[in-house]
Amino acid sequence: MNAPESFFQAAAGVSSESQLARIVRSNEEIKSIVATAFKINLMALNAIFLAKRAGTAALGFGVLSNELRRFAQDLTQQMALLREMTAESVTAVSSLMQQRRLDRILDLAVRACEGKEIAGLDVVMARAEAAFGEKFQRLRQFDKVLHRALESTGQLVELGGVLARSAKIEAAYGGQYSSSLMQVSTDFAEVIDQIKLSLEKLTRERLIKEGS
Amino acid sequence: MKQCRTIFQDGDHRWLAIVRDPNRAGHVIDTNEYLIESGAESLLCDPGGIEIFPAVFSALCAETDPNRVRAIFASHQDPDIISSLALWLDFNPELKCYTSWLWASFLPHFGGTAETFASLPDEGASIRIGDLDLEAVPAHYLHSSGNFHLYDRGAKILFSGDVGAALLPPDQDDLYVKNFDQHIQYAAGFHRRWMGSNEAKRRWCERVAVLNIDMLCPQHGAIYQGEDVARFIDWFDQLTVGVV
Repeated sequence: MNAPESFFQAAAGVSSESQLARIVRSNEEIKSIVATAFKINLMALNAIFLAKRAGTAALGFGVLSNELRRFAQDLTQQMALLREMTAESVTAVSSLMQQRRLDRILDLAVRACEGKEIAGLDVVMARAEAAFGEKFQRLRQFDKVLHRALESTGQLVELGGVLARSAKIEAAYGGQYSSSLMQVSTDFAEVIDQIKLSLEKLTRERLIKEGS
Repeated sequence: MKQCRTIFQDGDHRWLAIVRDPNRAGHVIDTNEYLIESGAESLLCDPGGIEIFPAVFSALCAETDPNRVRAIFASHQDPDIISSLALWLDFNPELKCYTSWLWASFLPHFGGTAETFASLPDEGASIRIGDLDLEAVPAHYLHSSGNFHLYDRGAKILFSGDVGAALLPPDQDDLYVKNFDQHIQYAAGFHRRWMGSNEAKRRWCERVAVLNIDMLCPQHGAIYQGEDVARFIDWFDQLTVGVV
Protein backbone atom coordinates (compact mmCIF):
# COMPACT_ATOMS: atom_id res chain seq x y z
CA MET A 1 0.00 0.00 0.00
CA ASN A 2 1.43 3.36 -0.97
CA ALA A 3 1.21 6.53 1.10
CA PRO A 4 -0.71 9.35 -0.58
CA GLU A 5 2.32 11.24 -1.91
CA SER A 6 0.75 14.65 -2.15
CA PHE A 7 -0.31 14.69 1.48
CA PHE A 8 3.05 13.66 2.88
CA GLN A 9 4.89 15.92 0.49
CA ALA A 10 2.70 18.75 1.70
CA ALA A 11 3.34 17.75 5.30
CA ALA A 12 7.08 17.69 4.68
CA GLY A 13 6.93 21.08 2.97
CA VAL A 14 5.51 22.86 5.96
CA SER A 15 8.44 23.89 8.07
CA SER A 16 6.81 24.30 11.47
CA GLU A 17 10.19 24.87 13.16
CA SER A 18 10.80 27.96 11.06
CA GLN A 19 7.21 29.04 11.76
CA LEU A 20 8.04 28.99 15.43
CA ALA A 21 11.16 31.06 14.70
CA ARG A 22 8.95 33.53 12.80
CA ILE A 23 6.62 33.81 15.77
CA VAL A 24 9.59 34.54 18.03
CA ARG A 25 10.80 37.24 15.61
CA SER A 26 7.28 38.72 15.41
CA ASN A 27 7.06 38.82 19.17
CA GLU A 28 10.38 40.67 19.37
CA GLU A 29 9.11 43.27 16.87
CA ILE A 30 5.88 43.67 18.84
CA LYS A 31 7.90 44.21 22.02
CA SER A 32 9.98 46.83 20.23
CA ILE A 33 6.83 48.65 19.01
CA VAL A 34 5.31 48.56 22.51
CA ALA A 35 8.50 50.10 23.92
CA THR A 36 8.41 52.81 21.24
CA ALA A 37 4.72 53.51 21.89
CA PHE A 38 5.59 54.01 25.56
CA LYS A 39 8.28 56.46 24.44
CA ILE A 40 5.76 58.38 22.27
CA ASN A 41 3.38 58.59 25.22
CA LEU A 42 6.08 60.25 27.38
CA MET A 43 7.18 62.49 24.51
CA ALA A 44 3.58 63.57 23.93
CA LEU A 45 3.18 64.40 27.62
CA ASN A 46 6.29 66.61 27.48
CA ALA A 47 5.01 68.18 24.26
CA ILE A 48 1.67 69.01 25.95
CA PHE A 49 3.51 70.81 28.79
CA LEU A 50 5.74 72.62 26.28
CA ALA A 51 2.70 73.71 24.24
CA LYS A 52 1.04 75.01 27.42
CA ARG A 53 4.15 77.08 28.19
CA ALA A 54 4.21 78.39 24.62
CA GLY A 55 0.63 79.64 25.09
CA THR A 56 -1.62 80.68 22.21
CA ALA A 57 1.23 80.43 19.64
CA ALA A 58 1.30 76.64 20.17
CA LEU A 59 -2.42 75.88 20.53
CA GLY A 60 -2.44 73.75 17.37
CA PHE A 61 0.71 71.94 18.50
CA GLY A 62 -0.95 71.20 21.83
CA VAL A 63 -3.99 69.65 20.12
CA LEU A 64 -1.69 67.47 17.98
CA SER A 65 0.33 66.40 21.03
CA ASN A 66 -2.89 65.25 22.67
CA GLU A 67 -3.76 63.30 19.53
CA LEU A 68 -0.28 61.74 19.47
CA ARG A 69 -0.73 60.67 23.07
CA ARG A 70 -4.03 59.05 22.19
CA PHE A 71 -2.30 57.44 19.20
CA ALA A 72 0.37 55.96 21.51
CA GLN A 73 -2.34 54.51 23.76
CA ASP A 74 -4.26 53.04 20.81
CA LEU A 75 -1.03 51.57 19.45
CA THR A 76 -0.22 49.97 22.81
CA GLN A 77 -3.68 48.38 22.89
CA GLN A 78 -3.30 47.15 19.33
CA MET A 79 0.08 45.65 20.17
CA ALA A 80 -1.37 43.88 23.22
CA LEU A 81 -3.92 42.32 20.89
CA LEU A 82 -1.21 41.27 18.43
CA ARG A 83 0.87 39.82 21.24
CA GLU A 84 -2.11 37.78 22.42
CA MET A 85 -2.62 36.56 18.88
CA THR A 86 1.01 35.52 18.45
CA ALA A 87 0.82 33.63 21.77
CA GLU A 88 -2.22 31.76 20.40
CA SER A 89 -0.40 31.08 17.15
CA VAL A 90 2.28 29.22 19.16
CA THR A 91 -0.47 26.75 20.14
CA ALA A 92 -1.58 26.35 16.52
CA VAL A 93 1.99 25.87 15.26
CA SER A 94 2.90 23.45 18.08
CA SER A 95 -0.14 21.35 17.27
CA LEU A 96 0.87 21.27 13.59
CA MET A 97 4.45 20.35 14.53
CA GLN A 98 3.26 17.45 16.65
CA GLN A 99 0.96 16.24 13.86
CA ARG A 100 3.80 16.51 11.33
CA ARG A 101 6.10 14.43 13.52
CA LEU A 102 3.46 11.74 13.93
CA ASP A 103 2.74 11.79 10.18
CA ARG A 104 6.44 11.41 9.35
CA ILE A 105 6.76 8.33 11.56
CA LEU A 106 3.45 6.90 10.33
CA ASP A 107 4.69 7.37 6.77
CA LEU A 108 7.87 5.43 7.59
CA ALA A 109 5.78 2.64 9.14
CA VAL A 110 3.53 2.43 6.08
CA ARG A 111 6.51 2.34 3.73
CA ALA A 112 8.12 -0.40 5.84
CA CYS A 113 4.94 -2.46 5.31
CA GLU A 114 4.90 -1.93 1.55
CA GLY A 115 3.60 -4.93 -0.35
CA LYS A 116 1.47 -6.18 2.56
CA GLU A 117 -2.28 -5.76 2.55
CA ILE A 118 -3.22 -4.31 5.93
CA ALA A 119 -6.91 -3.71 6.42
CA GLY A 120 -7.78 -0.27 7.68
CA LEU A 121 -4.47 1.36 6.77
CA ASP A 122 -6.14 3.57 4.18
CA VAL A 123 -8.56 4.78 6.89
CA VAL A 124 -5.61 5.59 9.17
CA MET A 125 -3.89 7.53 6.38
CA ALA A 126 -7.09 9.40 5.55
CA ARG A 127 -7.54 10.26 9.21
CA ALA A 128 -3.95 11.52 9.46
CA GLU A 129 -4.44 13.57 6.30
CA ALA A 130 -7.67 15.06 7.65
CA ALA A 131 -6.06 15.90 11.01
CA PHE A 132 -3.10 17.56 9.29
CA GLY A 133 -5.40 19.42 6.87
CA GLU A 134 -7.57 20.68 9.71
CA LYS A 135 -4.59 21.97 11.68
CA PHE A 136 -3.05 23.50 8.58
CA GLN A 137 -6.31 25.29 7.73
CA ARG A 138 -6.62 26.56 11.29
CA LEU A 139 -3.13 28.03 11.03
CA ARG A 140 -3.89 29.56 7.63
CA GLN A 141 -7.04 31.16 9.07
CA PHE A 142 -5.05 32.45 12.00
CA ASP A 143 -2.46 33.90 9.65
CA LYS A 144 -5.20 35.81 7.80
CA VAL A 145 -6.67 37.22 11.03
CA LEU A 146 -3.20 38.22 12.19
CA HIS A 147 -2.56 40.03 8.92
CA ARG A 148 -5.85 41.87 9.02
CA ALA A 149 -4.88 43.06 12.51
CA LEU A 150 -1.49 44.15 11.15
CA GLU A 151 -3.17 46.06 8.31
CA SER A 152 -5.34 48.00 10.72
CA THR A 153 -2.23 48.68 12.85
CA GLY A 154 -0.57 49.96 9.67
CA GLN A 155 -3.45 52.42 9.16
CA LEU A 156 -3.10 53.58 12.75
CA VAL A 157 0.64 54.16 12.28
CA GLU A 158 -0.08 56.09 9.05
CA LEU A 159 -2.31 58.36 11.13
CA GLY A 160 0.58 58.75 13.59
CA GLY A 161 2.82 59.78 10.68
CA VAL A 162 0.29 62.41 9.57
CA LEU A 163 0.06 63.75 13.13
CA ALA A 164 3.87 63.99 13.37
CA ARG A 165 4.07 65.87 10.04
CA SER A 166 1.28 68.23 11.12
CA ALA A 167 3.10 68.80 14.41
CA LYS A 168 6.17 69.87 12.42
CA ILE A 169 4.08 72.45 10.52
CA GLU A 170 2.48 73.71 13.73
CA ALA A 171 5.93 73.97 15.32
CA ALA A 172 6.83 76.62 12.72
CA TYR A 173 4.16 78.87 14.28
CA GLY A 174 5.50 78.43 17.79
CA GLY A 175 7.14 81.82 18.09
CA GLN A 176 10.06 81.77 20.52
CA TYR A 177 9.32 78.08 21.24
CA SER A 178 9.49 77.21 17.56
CA SER A 179 12.89 75.47 17.67
CA SER A 180 12.00 73.43 20.78
CA LEU A 181 8.66 72.42 19.24
CA MET A 182 10.44 71.58 15.95
CA GLN A 183 12.86 69.33 17.85
CA VAL A 184 9.98 67.53 19.56
CA SER A 185 8.03 67.06 16.31
CA THR A 186 11.19 65.76 14.55
CA ASP A 187 11.61 63.22 17.37
CA PHE A 188 7.97 62.17 16.87
CA ALA A 189 8.55 61.65 13.16
CA GLU A 190 11.69 59.57 13.83
CA VAL A 191 10.06 57.19 16.30
CA ILE A 192 7.05 56.74 14.05
CA ASP A 193 9.44 55.85 11.22
CA GLN A 194 10.97 53.24 13.56
CA ILE A 195 7.50 51.82 14.19
CA LYS A 196 6.82 51.67 10.44
CA LEU A 197 10.01 49.68 9.92
CA SER A 198 9.09 47.21 12.67
CA LEU A 199 5.60 46.90 11.26
CA GLU A 200 6.98 46.16 7.78
CA LYS A 201 9.11 43.39 9.28
CA LEU A 202 6.08 42.04 11.13
CA THR A 203 4.03 42.01 7.93
CA ARG A 204 6.74 39.97 6.17
CA GLU A 205 6.64 37.27 8.90
CA ARG A 206 3.83 35.04 7.61
CA LEU A 207 2.86 31.87 9.47
CA ILE A 208 2.00 30.24 6.17
CA LYS A 209 4.11 30.78 3.08
CA GLU A 210 2.30 32.30 0.09
CA GLY A 211 1.08 29.58 -2.27
CA SER A 212 1.35 26.72 0.25
CA MET B 1 13.60 -3.90 10.56
CA LYS B 2 12.95 -5.78 13.80
CA GLN B 3 12.32 -9.51 13.84
CA CYS B 4 9.06 -10.96 15.04
CA ARG B 5 9.62 -14.35 16.73
CA THR B 6 6.99 -16.69 18.11
CA ILE B 7 8.11 -17.71 21.60
CA PHE B 8 4.99 -19.60 22.62
CA GLN B 9 2.05 -21.13 20.79
CA ASP B 10 -0.85 -23.25 21.89
CA GLY B 11 -3.59 -23.16 19.25
CA ASP B 12 -4.62 -19.54 18.82
CA HIS B 13 -2.90 -18.56 22.06
CA ARG B 14 0.43 -17.09 21.07
CA TRP B 15 3.28 -14.88 22.31
CA LEU B 16 5.32 -12.96 19.77
CA ALA B 17 8.59 -11.24 20.64
CA ILE B 18 9.53 -8.25 18.50
CA VAL B 19 13.26 -7.94 18.90
CA ARG B 20 16.68 -6.92 17.57
CA ASP B 21 16.62 -4.18 14.98
CA PRO B 22 19.90 -4.21 13.01
CA ASN B 23 19.09 -0.73 11.67
CA ARG B 24 18.47 0.77 15.09
CA ALA B 25 20.24 4.08 15.69
CA GLY B 26 23.04 3.53 18.22
CA HIS B 27 21.89 6.31 20.52
CA VAL B 28 18.47 4.70 21.04
CA ILE B 29 18.29 1.87 23.61
CA ASP B 30 17.28 -1.50 22.22
CA THR B 31 13.91 -2.75 23.42
CA ASN B 32 11.82 -5.91 23.22
CA GLU B 33 8.11 -5.71 22.57
CA TYR B 34 5.79 -8.64 23.20
CA LEU B 35 2.43 -9.34 21.64
CA ILE B 36 0.03 -11.70 23.40
CA GLU B 37 -2.62 -13.13 21.10
CA SER B 38 -5.75 -15.02 21.97
CA GLY B 39 -8.17 -15.72 19.13
CA ALA B 40 -9.04 -12.49 17.37
CA GLU B 41 -7.64 -10.22 20.07
CA SER B 42 -4.19 -9.25 21.14
CA LEU B 43 -2.40 -7.09 23.69
CA LEU B 44 0.94 -5.37 23.11
CA CYS B 45 3.30 -5.13 26.07
CA ASP B 46 5.41 -1.95 26.26
CA PRO B 47 5.02 -0.92 22.59
CA GLY B 48 8.19 1.17 22.69
CA GLY B 49 9.35 4.64 21.85
CA ILE B 50 8.01 6.87 19.11
CA GLU B 51 11.16 6.65 16.97
CA ILE B 52 11.07 2.86 16.77
CA PHE B 53 7.36 2.68 15.89
CA PRO B 54 8.01 1.98 12.17
CA ALA B 55 10.29 -0.97 13.03
CA VAL B 56 7.85 -2.43 15.59
CA PHE B 57 4.76 -1.86 13.46
CA SER B 58 6.24 -3.38 10.31
CA ALA B 59 7.63 -6.42 12.18
CA LEU B 60 4.24 -6.96 13.80
CA CYS B 61 2.46 -6.60 10.45
CA ALA B 62 4.74 -9.23 8.95
CA GLU B 63 3.44 -11.80 11.41
CA THR B 64 -0.10 -10.81 12.35
CA ASP B 65 -2.95 -8.41 11.66
CA PRO B 66 -2.41 -5.16 13.60
CA ASN B 67 -6.18 -4.64 13.64
CA ARG B 68 -6.34 -7.36 16.29
CA VAL B 69 -4.41 -5.27 18.80
CA ARG B 70 -7.11 -4.24 21.27
CA ALA B 71 -4.96 -3.16 24.19
CA ILE B 72 -1.59 -1.88 25.23
CA PHE B 73 0.06 -2.68 28.51
CA ALA B 74 2.46 -0.01 29.75
CA SER B 75 4.57 -1.40 32.58
CA HIS B 76 5.49 2.16 33.52
CA GLN B 77 5.80 5.67 32.14
CA ASP B 78 9.22 5.83 30.48
CA PRO B 79 9.51 7.12 26.88
CA ASP B 80 11.13 3.89 25.64
CA ILE B 81 8.05 2.09 26.97
CA ILE B 82 5.13 4.10 25.73
CA SER B 83 6.00 7.29 23.81
CA SER B 84 4.67 5.66 20.61
CA LEU B 85 1.16 5.61 22.11
CA ALA B 86 -0.19 8.38 19.86
CA LEU B 87 0.78 6.42 16.74
CA TRP B 88 -0.89 3.22 17.94
CA LEU B 89 -3.97 5.31 18.69
CA ASP B 90 -3.74 6.77 15.19
CA PHE B 91 -4.09 3.24 13.94
CA ASN B 92 -6.86 2.31 16.34
CA PRO B 93 -8.42 5.15 18.37
CA GLU B 94 -10.38 2.59 20.43
CA LEU B 95 -7.25 1.02 21.96
CA LYS B 96 -7.20 0.63 25.73
CA CYS B 97 -3.98 1.40 27.55
CA TYR B 98 -3.51 -0.42 30.87
CA THR B 99 -1.13 1.27 33.25
CA SER B 100 -0.63 2.07 36.93
CA TRP B 101 -3.13 4.59 38.29
CA LEU B 102 -0.06 6.61 39.21
CA TRP B 103 0.69 7.32 35.54
CA ALA B 104 -2.83 7.51 34.15
CA SER B 105 -2.77 11.31 34.15
CA PHE B 106 0.86 11.53 32.97
CA LEU B 107 0.67 9.25 29.93
CA PRO B 108 -1.89 11.49 28.14
CA HIS B 109 1.14 13.70 27.44
CA PHE B 110 2.05 10.98 24.92
CA GLY B 111 -1.48 10.89 23.49
CA GLY B 112 -4.94 9.48 24.11
CA THR B 113 -8.17 10.66 25.64
CA ALA B 114 -9.83 10.07 29.01
CA GLU B 115 -11.34 6.90 27.52
CA THR B 116 -7.95 5.50 26.46
CA PHE B 117 -6.58 4.72 29.91
CA ALA B 118 -7.54 1.89 32.22
CA SER B 119 -5.90 2.49 35.59
CA LEU B 120 -4.45 -0.47 37.43
CA PRO B 121 -4.73 -0.35 41.25
CA ASP B 122 -1.56 -0.91 43.29
CA GLU B 123 -2.52 -4.48 44.16
CA GLY B 124 -2.82 -5.45 40.48
CA ALA B 125 -5.73 -6.57 38.34
CA SER B 126 -6.83 -9.02 35.72
CA ILE B 127 -6.87 -8.02 32.05
CA ARG B 128 -9.13 -9.92 29.69
CA ILE B 129 -7.84 -10.48 26.16
CA GLY B 130 -9.66 -13.03 24.01
CA ASP B 131 -9.99 -16.11 26.23
CA LEU B 132 -7.15 -15.08 28.50
CA ASP B 133 -7.16 -13.48 31.91
CA LEU B 134 -3.75 -11.88 32.12
CA GLU B 135 -2.57 -10.84 35.57
CA ALA B 136 -0.97 -7.45 36.20
CA VAL B 137 1.60 -8.26 38.90
CA PRO B 138 2.78 -5.39 41.15
CA ALA B 139 6.45 -4.49 40.70
CA HIS B 140 6.43 -1.03 42.24
CA TYR B 141 9.79 0.74 42.59
CA LEU B 142 11.34 -1.74 40.13
CA HIS B 143 12.27 0.68 38.80
CA SER B 144 9.30 3.02 38.50
CA SER B 145 7.24 3.94 41.56
CA GLY B 146 4.12 2.71 39.76
CA ASN B 147 5.21 -0.44 37.96
CA PHE B 148 3.53 -3.66 36.80
CA HIS B 149 4.56 -6.90 35.16
CA LEU B 150 2.17 -9.13 33.25
CA TYR B 151 1.71 -12.83 33.92
CA ASP B 152 0.08 -15.26 31.54
CA ARG B 153 -0.84 -18.30 33.61
CA GLY B 154 -1.71 -20.39 30.55
CA ALA B 155 1.59 -19.77 28.75
CA LYS B 156 3.57 -19.64 32.03
CA ILE B 157 5.25 -16.48 30.82
CA LEU B 158 6.00 -13.39 32.89
CA PHE B 159 6.60 -10.13 31.06
CA SER B 160 8.97 -8.51 33.54
CA GLY B 161 9.57 -5.02 32.12
CA ASP B 162 12.94 -3.71 33.25
CA VAL B 163 13.50 -6.56 35.72
CA GLY B 164 15.81 -9.06 34.07
CA ALA B 165 16.95 -6.47 31.55
CA ALA B 166 20.51 -6.67 30.27
CA LEU B 167 22.46 -4.23 28.15
CA LEU B 168 24.08 -6.68 25.79
CA PRO B 169 27.13 -5.98 23.64
CA PRO B 170 26.39 -5.77 19.90
CA ASP B 171 27.85 -9.22 19.17
CA GLN B 172 25.56 -10.95 21.70
CA ASP B 173 22.07 -10.78 20.32
CA ASP B 174 20.67 -14.22 21.19
CA LEU B 175 16.96 -14.16 21.91
CA TYR B 176 17.37 -16.51 24.90
CA VAL B 177 19.96 -16.53 27.66
CA LYS B 178 22.41 -19.26 26.72
CA ASN B 179 24.87 -19.06 29.57
CA PHE B 180 23.40 -17.50 32.72
CA ASP B 181 26.72 -16.83 34.48
CA GLN B 182 28.14 -15.10 31.47
CA HIS B 183 24.92 -13.21 30.73
CA ILE B 184 24.25 -11.85 34.20
CA GLN B 185 27.28 -9.51 34.13
CA TYR B 186 25.35 -7.42 31.57
CA ALA B 187 22.37 -7.23 33.92
CA ALA B 188 24.17 -6.48 37.19
CA GLY B 189 25.01 -2.79 36.71
CA PHE B 190 21.59 -2.08 35.28
CA HIS B 191 19.77 -3.62 38.24
CA ARG B 192 22.00 -2.02 40.89
CA ARG B 193 21.38 1.42 39.43
CA TRP B 194 17.82 1.26 38.16
CA MET B 195 16.13 -0.72 40.92
CA GLY B 196 15.62 1.68 43.80
CA SER B 197 14.43 -0.39 46.74
CA ASN B 198 15.79 -3.57 48.32
CA GLU B 199 12.52 -4.05 50.20
CA ALA B 200 10.47 -3.77 47.00
CA LYS B 201 12.86 -6.16 45.29
CA ARG B 202 12.48 -8.73 48.11
CA ARG B 203 8.68 -8.52 47.90
CA TRP B 204 8.77 -8.98 44.14
CA CYS B 205 11.04 -12.03 44.45
CA GLU B 206 8.67 -13.59 46.98
CA ARG B 207 5.66 -12.79 44.79
CA VAL B 208 7.02 -14.28 41.56
CA ALA B 209 8.85 -17.22 43.16
CA VAL B 210 5.48 -18.90 43.76
CA LEU B 211 4.32 -18.40 40.16
CA ASN B 212 4.80 -21.16 37.64
CA ILE B 213 7.09 -19.46 35.12
CA ASP B 214 8.67 -21.06 32.07
CA MET B 215 9.87 -17.80 30.54
CA LEU B 216 10.76 -14.46 32.05
CA CYS B 217 10.67 -11.83 29.31
CA PRO B 218 12.39 -8.50 29.99
CA GLN B 219 12.03 -5.31 27.96
CA HIS B 220 15.77 -5.19 27.19
CA GLY B 221 18.16 -8.06 26.50
CA ALA B 222 17.54 -11.80 26.37
CA ILE B 223 14.71 -14.02 27.64
CA TYR B 224 15.31 -16.31 30.65
CA GLN B 225 13.78 -19.76 30.29
CA GLY B 226 13.56 -22.98 32.24
CA GLU B 227 15.89 -23.15 35.24
CA ASP B 228 17.38 -19.76 34.43
CA VAL B 229 14.13 -18.17 35.65
CA ALA B 230 14.60 -19.37 39.25
CA ARG B 231 18.33 -18.71 38.91
CA PHE B 232 17.57 -15.11 37.99
CA ILE B 233 15.09 -14.64 40.86
CA ASP B 234 17.66 -16.00 43.35
CA TRP B 235 20.39 -13.80 41.89
CA PHE B 236 18.17 -10.73 42.05
CA ASP B 237 17.15 -11.54 45.62
CA GLN B 238 20.82 -11.52 46.65
CA LEU B 239 21.73 -8.34 44.80
CA THR B 240 22.01 -5.06 46.68
CA VAL B 241 20.20 -2.46 44.62
CA GLY B 242 19.70 1.28 44.78
CA VAL B 243 23.41 2.05 44.59
CA VAL B 244 25.56 3.87 42.06
